[in-house]
Amino acid sequence: MPRSTIIKSLLITTLLLVTVVTCSGQSTTGTVSMSATVSKFVEINSGGAVTLTGNSGGGVTTDGVANSPLAVSINLGELGPSNTNNFVTALVPLKLRSNAAYVLSMSATVTSSGSTANRIGAADVGFGLGTISRTGTGVNTGGTDTNATSGDPTLPANGSVNGTTGRYEFTAVRSNLSAFSSATTALSGPFIMNAVPRSNANGLTVPAFFAVKPQFFENGTTNISVTFTVTAP
Amino acid sequence: MRLRRFAYPFVILLVLLTARSTSAQALDISSGGLPTITGAVNGSVTGNADVRGDLVVTINFGEVSPLNPNSIVKVVVPIALRSNQPYQVAVSMSGLANANAEAVQASDVGFGIQNIRVLGGAGKICTQSTHVIHSPFNNDPANSASVGSNGRIVYPSTLANLSGSTTILNGPQLSKNNSSIRQQSDGYVLDAIFTLTPQFFATGISSATLIFTISAGPNVPC
Repeated sequence: MPRSTIIKSLLITTLLLVTVVTCSGQSTTGTVSMSATVSKFVEINSGGAVTLTGNSGGGVTTDGVANSPLAVSINLGELGPSNTNNFVTALVPLKLRSNAAYVLSMSATVTSSGSTANRIGAADVGFGLGTISRTGTGVNTGGTDTNATSGDPTLPANGSVNGTTGRYEFTAVRSNLSAFSSATTALSGPFIMNAVPRSNANGLTVPAFFAVKPQFFENGTTNISVTFTVTAP
Repeated sequence: MRLRRFAYPFVILLVLLTARSTSAQALDISSGGLPTITGAVNGSVTGNADVRGDLVVTINFGEVSPLNPNSIVKVVVPIALRSNQPYQVAVSMSGLANANAEAVQASDVGFGIQNIRVLGGAGKICTQSTHVIHSPFNNDPANSASVGSNGRIVYPSTLANLSGSTTILNGPQLSKNNSSIRQQSDGYVLDAIFTLTPQFFATGISSATLIFTISAGPNVPC
């Protein structure tokens, strides 16, 4: 190989090395890229203590504790004619929170030890959601919530004695548990919370009414189980 | 003769390239080590563990809705600086332009500078000037978060304090030597701290890009 070719090769190699050093050398800029994800979030908790009225015997077995998981147990007491009150009513406060539009649905099962049509059934248990409250720092007060129930089931407009059978009936739309044999929407609305941390204890509160009118039901015991579910569709 | 015709332009080119290398080393910004992340759910941070590597960091804060039960997501990004002259560091931001006020905003991302320290034995220790973190960035946002009057988390300084190219730091010469190649011990390191508190933000994915730039700063004595 000619000497000049060798020298040229060496020079070119040196040039490339210097170029590499120059390109991989120091820099006056640096980059920090960042991203974050916000997923839909909804939750339901107890809105506070249960209120039980019109009962004869019974009581609140497991009470609600505000901002704790909803797990309430209530003994409605005597529901036969020996209870002379107009209604036995349990008021269960609910608290909902979300960063997206929400749907609160409910499903209920009613089982009675009786064997006749006079036993307590799902239609004999009145249900409704009361006044919806969006108050407190960090709560979105805009938008409108849609209550799919008829409210307090004990209101005269929501029920009456059947003229034919004589049995008291909760007649308004979604005013008794027979309307909730499967998961059925009870309440829906726009996002509840503004951009505040979860430690903020505020939210949307709404009372859930459960009512039974004491009647000549078939004697026995009845279990009522209700499940609330909130979703962000 | 033909070799000389080839060699002379080559030498000139070599001198020019060498001069470019020499001038480029006067001011340098690089990785200051591996960044860290705490409090994240499905989050991560990537960077260069080698202080001789470029500053290219990718932060994924992960889930920042209440599905993340942690009180704060904190990322610490070490940044190395080198210079043979007084310097300043500026930051510019792009992104995070969410129209929904309840979505993550620049003001929701805490940003502070802490822990300026010498990078090894060749870091220049000046006695007549100090390295100055510009207001309001001299804080660890994770230690100074509070709840605002509207219930939203606020920090002493956030990405919303960046307007255009914003100077966050300046000071005297950083390096003792004048090497054209990054050394492991010839400058200073600082921690850029980023925080994001999980909240009931509006859903979505937010992103931003920050450019850190070092340039000649005010002529302060060493």
